[in-house]
Amino acid sequence: MRTFHIRFYENRKIYFSISIGIMLIGLIFNMIFGTQLDIQFKGGAVIKYAYTGEIKAAVVEQTVESAVKRNVSVVINSDVKSASTSGTKNNVTLSFAGTDSLSLANQKAVQKALSTSYPNAKFSLVSSDSVNPSMGQSFFAKCLVAVLIAFLLLDIYIAFRFRKIGGTAAGLFAIVALLHDVAMVYFTFIIFRIPLNDNFIAVVLTILGYSLNDTIVIYDRIRENRRLLGAKVEYGTLVDNSINVTLTRSLYTAGCTFASIAVVFIVGSVYNLSSVTTFALPMMVGIVTGCYSSICIAGPLYVMWENHKLKVAVAAHSAKAKEELPKAPAPSPAPKPSNAAPSEPAAQKTANKPSAAAPKPAPRRSKSSKKSRSSKKKR
Amino acid sequence: MKRVPKPVFFIVALLILLFTYAATFGIKAKNGDNTVTYIKGLNDIRWGIDINGGVEATFTPVTSAKATNKQMDSAESIIKQRLIGENITDYEVYTDYNHDRIIVRFPWKNDEKNFDPQSAIEELAATAQVTFREGKEYTTETTGSDGNPVYKTPKGTTASKIVLQGSDIQSAGPQMTTDQTTGKSTYVVSLQLSENGTKKFADATQRLQNQYISIWMDDVMISAPQVQDVITDGKCQIDGGSTGFTAAEASSLANKINAGALPFKLTITDSNTISPTLGKSSLNAMALAGIIAFVLVGLFMLIVFRLPGLIAIISLLGQMALSFAAVSGFFPFINSFTLTLPGIAGIILSIGMGVDANIITATRIKEELWAGKTLDMAISKGDENSFSAIFDGNITVIIVALILMLVFGPTNILSMIFGASTTGSIYSFGYTLLIGIIGNFLFGVVTTRLMTKAVSGFRFARNKWLYGGAAE
Repeated sequence: MRTFHIRFYENRKIYFSISIGIMLIGLIFNMIFGTQLDIQFKGGAVIKYAYTGEIKAAVVEQTVESAVKRNVSVVINSDVKSASTSGTKNNVTLSFAGTDSLSLANQKAVQKALSTSYPNAKFSLVSSDSVNPSMGQSFFAKCLVAVLIAFLLLDIYIAFRFRKIGGTAAGLFAIVALLHDVAMVYFTFIIFRIPLNDNFIAVVLTILGYSLNDTIVIYDRIRENRRLLGAKVEYGTLVDNSINVTLTRSLYTAGCTFASIAVVFIVGSVYNLSSVTTFALPMMVGIVTGCYSSICIAGPLYVMWENHKLKVAVAAHSAKAKEELPKAPAPSPAPKPSNAAPSEPAAQKTANKPSAAAPKPAPRRSKSSKKSRSSKKKR
Repeated sequence: MKRVPKPVFFIVALLILLFTYAATFGIKAKNGDNTVTYIKGLNDIRWGIDINGGVEATFTPVTSAKATNKQMDSAESIIKQRLIGENITDYEVYTDYNHDRIIVRFPWKNDEKNFDPQSAIEELAATAQVTFREGKEYTTETTGSDGNPVYKTPKGTTASKIVLQGSDIQSAGPQMTTDQTTGKSTYVVSLQLSENGTKKFADATQRLQNQYISIWMDDVMISAPQVQDVITDGKCQIDGGSTGFTAAEASSLANKINAGALPFKLTITDSNTISPTLGKSSLNAMALAGIIAFVLVGLFMLIVFRLPGLIAIISLLGQMALSFAAVSGFFPFINSFTLTLPGIAGIILSIGMGVDANIITATRIKEELWAGKTLDMAISKGDENSFSAIFDGNITVIIVALILMLVFGPTNILSMIFGASTTGSIYSFGYTLLIGIIGNFLFGVVTTRLMTKAVSGFRFARNKWLYGGAAE
């Protein structure tokens, strides 16, 4: 049976740079284009009509603007396939400037004016959305509170669940991975210039749940492997091994989920269903990044932290040893105590754990390493 | 390993297939001309307005002061009455007393040909001033779109002498009357006058015997009956003149008159409409996407995991069927559920997430086989070791799905702060996601294990290659 042997810890800088790079690109886009809110959240009006024949965007714009005295941007999608009837349709979307809703009387006036300028186009209403800004803002606030609640609940779950797996530090890295994923989903909306809407909230919440479970699975394996491989195995090797063992499952599941939602995206694109594609695309990104962050961010971060703890413990240990030496000339007396002071408690903390510097009885280690060797042979 | 009898495989598989069939097509029987639905299938699913087409609108009273709860209630009941008057029964109305909002959502009627949601919304909020006036003098006469003359703007005594006003009318309703001689049915609007109105009307009918009393809606004369009797009981009817009212006209007029009783004028602050054709196209597209996703995932499982893959497909079918059943009202104890586009996306997403349990178990079995275990050992070990991972994998998504439902539901934990809102289409997504995960537990763990253990009892299924082990 094939197993992966990818050195995640060694390559961590590549992964970190990829993540930071994408986020930078997202930030730049964000600064240039700003954050677009859907009219659901900020208020405003959008109307979509189906029509036949040919129309000109500029003419439509002028007609509508003179009818309702409000600036409007016009997008024409011609030859849109429909999944319910054969043949194609032409759609024109009118987005009104500003955040005010558009009264029904004005909506009717728009259609009337358009029908007058293009008597043969047979404008028919496909959809209309008109949202009052105060309603939009309160919905937006509600959605943000929802995300906060989810985040808090998941934190509580993490605190509860990670007591066993890796302690507070591991829990914090799991949260870092979650924030990473939320940022990625957010930047997907920014880079593809999709206005934030309730789909964004749905995707963020789903990815929070999805990403966390991947992280838990990996950390769980780390704990199991620590028992199996003994204390002397380096953290890098231990974590890499744990990730590689769980990688098959992570990739299979993420692959299946990704494929399902990718199909939705493709079909949605073919039929120009924007409400579907703006949901599916960020979800695709979220599934990839949810899997990626657990493996390439949360795992290596954990190793870095544990190695750092070890180093501090060793430093504290050697500092202590040096202090005990009677003939220490103290060439640089100033930095030493300041170095030792903060590391003291850390050293104590790690000493309590069996996994840290404290040496283990030899027989158990050799037994477990034999076991792992024998299982390798059979593979 | 505790042996599971071989036939269990077929029993479980058959049960799942039957369940899938029933949940997809429903169970119906023809009783004469009536189709009796015993079990609801996919066709009985209540679709959200993003699929069926429909209207959502928010009404706010135009008052400087805050409306009282009682006023909001009466406005709500008037809106409901009008919806019923329009023969719309599948509506949702939420009243937010704190923010003075009434939110209305209703799907487009299936038989509706004319998609004119803007008029439909306006009609819900329309007020109309009804007056009963002396005489029938008018200023202009034009020909209406139906070919009948339209009389506008009262003049002379008709303009100055008002017999009854909207506030004198207690209630109005459409009523069907059948002509005794011709047997032809026409509709009238019957009115119940208030105490004050009754008295005024009795006086007027006494005074104006054999003269005309005209009935005006705003600026238009809709009827001008000749007074024949003194009416003292406060009941009267408006007929539609020579042609009579159609049922729709009568109910529309009655609604408008009732609106005179509205404590305030309603404006429409938000509106959202979707045409049924767009929705239908979306539904078909999503159905197509669902089928393709299922086939892709099924093929993947079959190729990678072989026999456990096949079992996974059967389990996945069961999981899908559970999702359908949970929205269609298949189970008597679960109400049917409005399914929206994100809801369908949730079902499709759970196809991918749903095989997780099967992937974990099958991968573990494969690992154990390659580690040299016997088939039985590998299967039971694989089951043991995978449960905690499956549990972990699902619990976080369950937390999230519950929050989605709690926050986007019709009355939710945040309503107190942010006021009621309609059930966003995301509510449905949370629900299908939740059901998908529960289905994953139920089918991905319970039935998959039963089937795997049972099928491994067959001689043909003893080959480790079938489970991803080395070929023998």
